[in-house]
Order: sequence, then structure tokens, then C-alpha cells
Amino acid sequence: MDKNQKLEFDVIVVGAGLSGSAAAAIAARSGLKVAIVERGQNPGSKNYFGGALYTHSLLEIYPDLWDRKPPLERPVTETGFWFLSKDGLVKATVQGGKVNSNPIDAYVALRAKFDAWWAEQAQKEGAFIIPKTLVVDFIRENGKVVGVKTDRDQGDIYAPVVIITEGVNNLLTQKLGLAKHDIKGDSAALAVKQLISIPAATINARFGLTDNDHGLAMSVMGDVSMGLPGLGFIYTGVDCVSVGVGVTLEALREAGIKPYELLQRYMNHPMIAPLIAGGRLMEYGAHIIPEGGWKDMPQLYTDGVLVAGDAASMVNALHWEGTNMAIVAGKCAAETAIEAHQKKDFSAKSLSSYRTRLDKRFIMTDLHQYRNLSHFLKTHPDFMAIYPTFINDALGMFFTGFGKPKGQLYKDILRSLTDRRPLLKAVGDIVAFGRTIIGI
Amino acid sequence: MFHALVSIKQVPDTTNIRIDPETNNLIRQGVPTILNPYDAHAVAAAVEWKRKLGGKVTIITMGPPAAVTSLRECIEMGADRAILISARQFAGADTWATSYVLSEVVKAVHEKDPIDLLFFGKQAIDGDTAQVGPGVAVRLDLPVVSYAVKIREVNLEERYVIIERKTESRNEVIKTSLPTALTCEKDIAEIPYASLPDLVYSLRYEPEVWNAESPITFDPALLGLKGSPTTVFKTGTPEKHIAGEVIKTEELGVDGAVKAALDKILGVEGMASILGVQK
Repeated sequence: MDKNQKLEFDVIVVGAGLSGSAAAAIAARSGLKVAIVERGQNPGSKNYFGGALYTHSLLEIYPDLWDRKPPLERPVTETGFWFLSKDGLVKATVQGGKVNSNPIDAYVALRAKFDAWWAEQAQKEGAFIIPKTLVVDFIRENGKVVGVKTDRDQGDIYAPVVIITEGVNNLLTQKLGLAKHDIKGDSAALAVKQLISIPAATINARFGLTDNDHGLAMSVMGDVSMGLPGLGFIYTGVDCVSVGVGVTLEALREAGIKPYELLQRYMNHPMIAPLIAGGRLMEYGAHIIPEGGWKDMPQLYTDGVLVAGDAASMVNALHWEGTNMAIVAGKCAAETAIEAHQKKDFSAKSLSSYRTRLDKRFIMTDLHQYRNLSHFLKTHPDFMAIYPTFINDALGMFFTGFGKPKGQLYKDILRSLTDRRPLLKAVGDIVAFGRTIIGI
Repeated sequence: MFHALVSIKQVPDTTNIRIDPETNNLIRQGVPTILNPYDAHAVAAAVEWKRKLGGKVTIITMGPPAAVTSLRECIEMGADRAILISARQFAGADTWATSYVLSEVVKAVHEKDPIDLLFFGKQAIDGDTAQVGPGVAVRLDLPVVSYAVKIREVNLEERYVIIERKTESRNEVIKTSLPTALTCEKDIAEIPYASLPDLVYSLRYEPEVWNAESPITFDPALLGLKGSPTTVFKTGTPEKHIAGEVIKTEELGVDGAVKAALDKILGVEGMASILGVQK
């Protein structure tokens, strides 16, 4: 190979995450020459999340997924909400039935392992991975993007279309003016987590799992976030448990609470501590989650450029969906790039079919429906603190009201609500929440 | 033309290594492998001098097929040729058997393309023996400068090299003839950040693979586990080394310093009779 040759590809993908490697795989499979530029030592080394991947999105990229032996942990066979009070726990979880579908809807995964494998699959489709290299800017000709500049000497790479899957810290998307502002503290959550090594048999016993082919994915609310708008989570791996908590940056700043204090407190909760007791810390990490959703979405394309995944704010904060959107949007971006190559037209107009593709999928509809969620949490900061603890009190009284006239019991339950929140306001909260999730 | 050969090793990243509490063995499963850090600096030094003098850098390593990634890293830094010495027969080699194989390979490379400097890292971070570099040098009857921190001069016409090496108390400056072997500390050179074309070239580079039969042959009795006389009886942490007392000639003068030293020695019980002197 001649080292002085201009580096030229049909498609450049920036970032080997779930979205980037999915886009690269689809584009390479169609015969395009694809480069993935990744800043980490290896794909996966910079990538982080709470816990679970959605099977439908993986199958969409690789229908023969299971033959490829993906490095997944446990299937999610029990999921739902845990509501914590100061010293109690109410579980609203579901197992069996629809959760026991074939294939199982979601799998717990560890990103360092999974993303390396995910990128390797793209490589098998023909994509060329350039690691340890940071994209810092774009090459423009007549105002159109025709490639990227990297932080290395002679670092230019050319391609008529660049797919940006750079993740939450979307500096390149901002550089192009597609995102109008930097990530904002009130719509970005900082999630911190510990991965704790516990023998598989102990996990099965503590979480009531039949065997290693059963796993649990929980959203935990209430006394996890010290009254701040945030959520905790627990995921079971084969022989490890992920425990973490996420709160908006703005709330952390205002409350002056350090994220690791929050996590430590959550892990010491009397209902949580026994689940992870005796475990050995394997990994401690943190990541920003873009929770602004629809309202923070950048412009998704311009001349020679498409944006997907966290960089495009494709996260559904209520359902913990993000990885599936990233993967499906990566696929949509790749299909758009393929079409552009067929038409030999890489203008914004030509690439606008990306938006049409996203509109046809759950991505745009879901994000639009939940567009007010982040506003709701901002205007109802104690929503996540009040009701989970109330549920604990209410059910606690309901099941222990021995010897008390039932009329009095219901009055007590009502008072435990009104002590927290005047009745009318509580009704208002519920209505507002309902409107938020229905999207009206 | 300058020709440097660097012998490298792919090692488990010991910063990630854990010990199995029950068996006391290293848990290597799932531990990422890296180019031995000292070797990386040795490669950087070889490339630096190649760029000064013109010439080439050849990399060799004995290891499993996965060691290709470490060889590619050397090519990324600017090395020109990489050889992977890999065959089942080599497996289980101790430093003795390893230095035999490497010395035979160096000999074969040298015959076709004479080598001026033979670089090693000072030690590998997994075994920490620091034996392979000197072992190869001795087998090839080459001078060896260990713990090298700086190459001051390489003179290809007059066939000498001047190298600084680190000792416990101070640096020594050694002038020796070419070819010479050296084992390197990290100070020997900074790891360069490769240009994009160099990186892309390295990602596509396929090293030559030498096995036990081709292109050279080895004495089968000296290979792998069979050729390894080392037996590890026990491992542990060495006792803490207590620093010796330094008597400075600057303060006492040479005679004064010698006298002070003698007084110290003769003050030790029974030392006078061992040395055969009168107190």
C-alpha cells in the first residue's frame, strides 16, 4: 500500500458504538467502502451504559444473531419498577407471560465486551476500523462536508457522506451547527454505576432467579436519589450485578451532592445492600445520558452528513430506551447513505429521506410523544420522591391494619398522601403525568 | 544504512490482573493483552535512530497468533518489517528456551541484512525476569548494555555506539562496538503518535510468520517446555532492599573516604580476621 495515497472511503462513521457499528455493517454489506473512526484504544473501551440491550434491534442488523454467538449476559425475564421508601420496598414487576417471549425482549450486557464484538461483526461485513483516532473537524468543499479531519498528522479522510455517531458529547454535531447548544445540565443525567462480582448461584438465590438463563432489569424509584429527579437501576449479569443511579446534572449541582455519595447511599439502602453484600467491585463508571429527547434533537442531516444515536438525543428516558434507537437509527442512516450513493447525490435534500425513515419507525413517534417528559420532571421535581414512598406507606398500612376499623385505615392512607401533598395537587400531578406520557 | 532489530513481547495488561484467591494463580481470562511497555519504548528508540540515520527497523516476537496486534503497533510506530515466530513447539518456553529461539532468528535475519543494534525492553511486565535480552546477547556473543536510558551516538562508519545506562546510584556512559545489544528503560525514547497514513498502513499490515521448520530450523530438544530447565518452586515478594551508606569523596577526600569505609568494615565483628588484617 502506498502511504501517500489519499485516504478515501464511500462512508465514514464517527464512533464505534452501537449506532456506528450498526450503520457501518449495513453500509459495508451493500458493498460500500466504509471506515469507522474510533477514539478509544478499541471499540467499546469508551462506551458505557446501565444494563440491557433490546433483542429486536440486534436482530434487525443481524438476522443470524444467535449463530454469531453474541457476548450477552442474562436474558431479562423479570422487569418493572421497585419503589423504595426510607426502609421499605414495593415491587411492581412482571415475569412470564409477554416477558417470556421468544426471543426474550432484552438481554443484560457489558458494553466493553459487547461493543468490541459488535464492531468485529461490522468488520466482518467489510468495514475498516481506525482506532485511537479522534475526529476533530470536517473537510468542506463548496460548503459541503466531504470528509473528516483527525487529530493525527496527515489526518484527513475523505468520503461523500459522514455518519456522526459520536455519542452524547456531540461536539462535531455542534461544530456543524446542527445542534444549537452544548448539552444542558437540566436535560442531561449523570448516571454512576458499580459492577459488582457475585457468584451466579448467589445471584439466583438473592433475586429469585431459576437459573443463569433468567435475569432481572429494574428501574428503582423513590428513596434512591435523595429527593432529586432521578432513577436507580439494577441489572443482573451472569456473575455480576450492575447497580447505579442517574440524576440530572443541574439537580446534582443545585443540591451540591456528589454522584458517588448518591450511589453509595443507594447501595447502603436496607433493601438493596443485602442483594449485593459480599460482592467484589469490578468496575466503577459514569456516563452522561441525554434525556432532553425530542426538544434537544439536533437537525439530523445536512449536506454530506447524518447524525444518529446519543449525538442526536435519541433516548427515551422513561422506558430506558436508547440503545435500540441508536441501532435502528444507525441502520436508517446507512440505508440513506446507500441510497445517496445510488443517486450520486449527497445533498441535504437527498439525505432528507433519513428523516422519513426515522418517522416510519418508533423513534420519532416515541420521542415526540414523550417530548414534555423532561419539562414535567423539571416542574415536578419531587414527583419521584413523593409517590414511591407514599405507595410504600399505603400498601404497608393496607396489609398491616390488623384490628383497625377499615374506614379508619382508608382515612389514614389518605392522610399519608395529603401529609405529603394536598389532594388537589396530587390529582394535578397524576393528570399532568398522564398527559406527559400520552403526549398531549 | 542503519538496521535495528527489536525483540518484543505481548503481555497481559498487569494493571488489570487479578489473583484467584483460592488457587493463587493469575486470572488471565478476559485480561486484555498489550505490547510490553518497555518494549514499546525500545521500538520508539529504534525508529527515532532510523529516522536520524536512514535505514530500517525489524521487529521480532515469539508468541501466539494474537501477538500480531502488538507487531502492528510497532509498525504503527514506524517499524518496517515484523516477524511473528509462532508454533506449538515453542509453547511453554522459559527464558532459556526463548533466548535460544530468538538468537537463532536474529542470526538468520543478520545473515541477510546485518544488524547494528539489537533492542530489548529491560524486562517484560508479566515475568519481570529481565533475562531474555542478555540471554540472547550472550548466545550471539554480543556486548550487552542493560537498563539503557539514552543513546548518545551511533557511528556507523567507525562502528561504535555510546549509551547511557542507569545503575542504582548514577548513570554510566558506555562506548562499545557495533553490533551491540541493549535492554531499554522507558526513558530511552518517547512513544510517538503516529501519522494517520502510518496507522492505516499498520492496521492492514500482515507480518511474516516463522514456524519451527521454516524458514529456519531449530534443535527440537531445545524448544518449548522440553527445552526449559526452569522450575518455579515458590513465588513471593522479595525482602525490602536496604540502601547502603554512601561515603562521599567530595567531603572527605579520597584517602579520608577510604579510611572511613575501612573503619566501618573493620568495626564489624570478625571482619578483620576474614580480611586478614589487624585492627
